[in-house]
Amino acid sequence: MVLVLALGDLHIPHRAPDLPAKFKSMLVPGKIQHIICTGNLCIKEIHDYLKTLCPDLHITRGEYDEETKYPETKTLTIGQFKLGLCHGHQVIPWGDLDSLAMLQRQLDVDILVTGHTHQFTAYKHEGGVVINPGSATGAYSSITYDVNPSFVLMDIDGLRVVVYVYELIDGEVKVDKIDFKKTTTSHSAH
Amino acid sequence: MSELWGRSRNRKQCWSPSLPNSTSCRFNSAESSPSPSMIKGKLKLPAPDRARRVFPDRLGSLVAAFDEKGNEIDVSEFELEPGEELEPIQPGGLGFHRESDDGDEAADDDDDDKERKIRQRPIKDSFTPVSVLRFISEEEKRSDLEHEISQREINLEKLQRIASAGIPDGGGLRATAWKLLLGYLPSSHDLWDKQLKENRQKYANLKRDILRNPSEHIWKEYEELSSTRWEDNDVDGPLRRHEISHEDHPLSLGKSSLWSQYFQYTEIVEQIDRDLERTHPDLPFFSGESSLSRKNREAMKNILLLFAKLNPEIRYVQGMNEVLAPIYYVFSTDPDKQNAENVEADSFSCFVRVLGDSVDHFCQHLDNSSSGILATISRLSDLLKVNDEQLWRHLELKTKVKPQFYAFRWITLLLTQEFKFETILRIWDTLLSNPFGVQDMLLRICCAMLLCVKNKLLSGDFVANLKLLQHYPDDINVEYLLQVAKDISPDTSYYCLSL
Repeated sequence: MVLVLALGDLHIPHRAPDLPAKFKSMLVPGKIQHIICTGNLCIKEIHDYLKTLCPDLHITRGEYDEETKYPETKTLTIGQFKLGLCHGHQVIPWGDLDSLAMLQRQLDVDILVTGHTHQFTAYKHEGGVVINPGSATGAYSSITYDVNPSFVLMDIDGLRVVVYVYELIDGEVKVDKIDFKKTTTSHSAH
Repeated sequence: MSELWGRSRNRKQCWSPSLPNSTSCRFNSAESSPSPSMIKGKLKLPAPDRARRVFPDRLGSLVAAFDEKGNEIDVSEFELEPGEELEPIQPGGLGFHRESDDGDEAADDDDDDKERKIRQRPIKDSFTPVSVLRFISEEEKRSDLEHEISQREINLEKLQRIASAGIPDGGGLRATAWKLLLGYLPSSHDLWDKQLKENRQKYANLKRDILRNPSEHIWKEYEELSSTRWEDNDVDGPLRRHEISHEDHPLSLGKSSLWSQYFQYTEIVEQIDRDLERTHPDLPFFSGESSLSRKNREAMKNILLLFAKLNPEIRYVQGMNEVLAPIYYVFSTDPDKQNAENVEADSFSCFVRVLGDSVDHFCQHLDNSSSGILATISRLSDLLKVNDEQLWRHLELKTKVKPQFYAFRWITLLLTQEFKFETILRIWDTLLSNPFGVQDMLLRICCAMLLCVKNKLLSGDFVANLKLLQHYPDDINVEYLLQVAKDISPDTSYYCLSL
């Protein structure tokens, strides 16, 4: 039972001052084993804050990040799943499923987590899953209107994943879940 | 005053002091001669109903053996008339000789049904070499124990008597004996299988329900529901979102959520882990990075966590791991395969039983109550006062070494931190086989521990005494210690009567 927090596009301090209070109250240290962040934090203070939640932190570089040393893409293995991480501004058209699927094949991962669109999506596509955790602060985006703050918590347990989607809608936290199983035949070597 | 003494008192008076003397070659402690105050204590206070126990324990196994073999023991020679003068106690006294003699015979004629009389023997200067005697009594003990355990209806009292003289290592004897003494195994042999199966099944169920983490729980639910969910995953496209019921997400702060209940225990789990790492660091069975020790620690963690969850008032207290360690060790070294597989279940049940009457010691807010640790410590203090007022006075009043400073750990952890591991197992044999309960014998052993280092304590001040008691000397002879403990008068209320 591994809990992985996926979030990104906070745009602090440029477009948002901080995470919503209700989110902050839920994010306490000690529960989460990994954090994967799509990028655009943008400052070091947020990096430090996330580090206090969990020491295992993975970040990829977004176009507004002030830290230039983050990688463009990252892959990690958690349990039986291979996760891929990328900010998403590099993949054009932004948010296009087929292009993201190309990236997924390139990275050879089961779950691809990207951001940039500030819109939560979760797709099953050609044997893999593409997840966009949205913007954790609800920061303004030029491509999405009415951005709701959202992030994703994945519970990886063997071959099964439960994805908990946390959204702040009208000041209330709404939690949904999505579950899927990895079928062992889905990734044959090519 | 002699009218007050029953016959059994006299007999006991005869034999028990002789034993420490006669085994003087076996131990090196300075406290070899029984101090006058010890005998004084015995004279004043009649022991509780022990009329059945004719001989002190060292002979007990032999006597029991004779009983079973259908021999008759003529004890009439040793009944002293009230008022008769007690014989002076000499080293190499009668008891010792008799045992060695008959021990030889017993070894030779194991299955003989010869009638044996315990003969009077003149006091001799030389005695049988100790090692031979010890070997004989080990073999005797083993065969007694095996015989008793293999009976269809086990006589618990007899088992207690045999066990309190020490259970020989090896062969799973100790494991079976402890299970019987703790009441985990019923005394009727036929019921063993059924009882074991039931208990082990119960444990497995408990473990499954209580130790399961929330995600396993959720997936269990999914599998029990219809399989329509899986259809979603076969189709490409947006994944379907499902509503969450009852705040059941990992970050939930609500009390009723499965997750928050699970996370409440993470602190306890960490504490347990830390304590288990520190359990007996010198034994590769428990410590180190080998797969065996890891497996053992994992099993012990499950047991302790299950106990903590089932008892939310006490939860886990540091030290419970020490109480569990001997039990788990003894049960895992059982050569019987079936038992070895179910170590966890058996250990859990026996752990709960052992902790049963001393659990109040762990509960902080019961400290000042009549069942709490302070009450028990004051009982120890009373016991010492009754048995050796001089030492008590010196400790409590003169050097102000209050029992809270040293006895707390002795009592709550059942002496597991005071001695070497093998010694602990031997002491626990006696503890668990006391017919009056573990706590009674525990206090007596604690008192005996004080008596055995009496000379050092009397000559020490606060600092020296405290240091001595908190790091109890390793080189103490355990058999002597336990013998002293058994001879201590337990019932302090008599003190007022006889005065």
